[in-house]
Amino acid sequence: MSTISIKNLRKTYGPYVAVDDLSFEIPEACVFGLLGPNGAGKTTTFKCMLDLARATSGSVLYDGAPLVPETFERIAYVPERSVLYEWMTVAEHVEMQRRAYRGFSVPRAHELLAQFGIDLRKKARALSKGMRTATMVALAIARESDILIFDEPTSGLDPINQRHVLNLIINESARGATVIFSSHQIGQVERAAERIAVIDRGRLALEGAVDDLKADRKIVEAILPSENFALNGLVGDPRILRLDRTGRIVRALTLHDASDVLAKFEALGASGLRIVDLNLEDIFLYAVSPADATADVVEGR
Amino acid sequence: MNYVEWLRVRNALRIYAIVLGVLIVIALIVRVSLSSQLNHDQYLIDRVSKEPGTKISHSVVDGLNRTTIVSPSDSTTITIDEKPDGGRIIHIVEPSKSHKPSTHAAHVGSFRANTTVSNGIETITVDTDGPVNVVIFLFIASFAGLILATCLGAPFACEQGHLEIAMLKPVTRIRYALGVIGADFAGIALAGAMTIVAAVICQAMFEVPHFDFSEVAGPLTLLLIVLPFSWYAALCAATASMQRGAGAVVGFAWPIAFVTIGLSHIPLGGTVVGQTFHVIFRAVASIIPLSYMQVRMMGSTATSDNGLTFSLNAAIITGLMLIYGALAIAQWRRVEA
Repeated sequence: MSTISIKNLRKTYGPYVAVDDLSFEIPEACVFGLLGPNGAGKTTTFKCMLDLARATSGSVLYDGAPLVPETFERIAYVPERSVLYEWMTVAEHVEMQRRAYRGFSVPRAHELLAQFGIDLRKKARALSKGMRTATMVALAIARESDILIFDEPTSGLDPINQRHVLNLIINESARGATVIFSSHQIGQVERAAERIAVIDRGRLALEGAVDDLKADRKIVEAILPSENFALNGLVGDPRILRLDRTGRIVRALTLHDASDVLAKFEALGASGLRIVDLNLEDIFLYAVSPADATADVVEGR
Repeated sequence: MNYVEWLRVRNALRIYAIVLGVLIVIALIVRVSLSSQLNHDQYLIDRVSKEPGTKISHSVVDGLNRTTIVSPSDSTTITIDEKPDGGRIIHIVEPSKSHKPSTHAAHVGSFRANTTVSNGIETITVDTDGPVNVVIFLFIASFAGLILATCLGAPFACEQGHLEIAMLKPVTRIRYALGVIGADFAGIALAGAMTIVAAVICQAMFEVPHFDFSEVAGPLTLLLIVLPFSWYAALCAATASMQRGAGAVVGFAWPIAFVTIGLSHIPLGGTVVGQTFHVIFRAVASIIPLSYMQVRMMGSTATSDNGLTFSLNAAIITGLMLIYGALAIAQWRRVEA
């Protein structure tokens, strides 16, 4: 099993900085979600991790050692778009994997492909987008690798197969594999991932265990006495990361002391007070666009 | 590790085998259609016996059958001697339309004809199964190799779009690239071998194959063998880092090569511009492997037609192959997904 350590990773394409000073660690046997808006640098990060793109600076270490060709025996990667050979059959792809990787299990591949309802005799060009993704996922999982990297592994899949892929990812982690995956479906990440990193414009915006991030961040909801009611003393409170107000309803994103913030609202005469657990989507949105998120806060500043 | 490339080679060879099969069938059809004409002695007997007064006699000379046909009406005498291996030596003596002394030789496959005109008499000697210089088969095989080299000539560009598969194999990129090139080399060699087999089959349909191996060990053989590989390496180097458009490069490679080589031979006038272009074309042609395959056939003997010996041509072409191969691999090492 494996620990992956990314240190000060930077990748530029001419003047464009795709990944900038990215550092985080992925513990072994962990399901790690990599989140970020489109163009944030997730795929580039994966490519740098796999030496598919040469990092401008920084390092990626697997169990403390840099990537060497032999490491690929232990790493399976499913890219965002299909990279299957259009002219080859699914069975030929299975054979290709068998010949390339010692750990590849043909029976397991057949079993997984059958679960997805994929005909081995079909050429890749005859498969739908979702089926191609499913084929790549099946081929990767049949490798029984220590490290699985999935870039949008549920892209193009129907909800049933999305759920199936997610279950496979969780099963792989249960087997002891380290799984890193990106997805725009934050609900899936929330369901599967133990830890996440959020990347925005190539930089690390947030990183940590999902449970910790959710435990630390709460939303305090309150109904104010009137629409023009002043929120004196609340805006600028370091415990409040974000404050949204829609008419009389106000929602405050808090870091750590949600109960104290709740007490403050109560003291202001607000009613309908409650503490709402944050979901990962809220955490993600705050991490990638805090300026936009707080722009609607009106009076009391 | 290079299973995908082997599949590409297999598919190309499968198509090539179908083409060869069609050619063999066409040859078979031609053979059946011409069966009466290809029975040489009977064909001659049938033709000449129509003439009034023709006499046909059979005898045994030195243990071999001889048929003699004498046609007094057109003063023609034909002698057909059977050879131990089934071939025929045919002597035709007839009056010549020309009185000018001459000698002429024709050579098609194992069919050799020598015509001599002297004192108004034309003597034609035909050997129906003379030895065929095996180098001719190598020429055909080399040409077939060039075609397959062109078909397989952009293996690294073909991996664009699949780099996440190709580059994540547990081997170094150099080893992977060498494996790819090795698979394609094997395919090119196999295409050449298949061509030789098909050519021999076609020849055997028409005559008893009788080979002359005397020139096989020469530098021309090396040149013919290396040429397709060198051409393949050149195409590889030209396309190795191309993300798209490799097909166009491969498709236009032949016309571009021929035009460049052709222009390199033409002195483009006495002007400075013309001379400059001439120098440029000569320089570009000198790095095109096909430039070193200029052969003139004199009967069954081949001579180099570019002022260099076959040995030197072979050495240059081998050098180009190694340089282009190294360039292709160097580019492949730097490719990013």
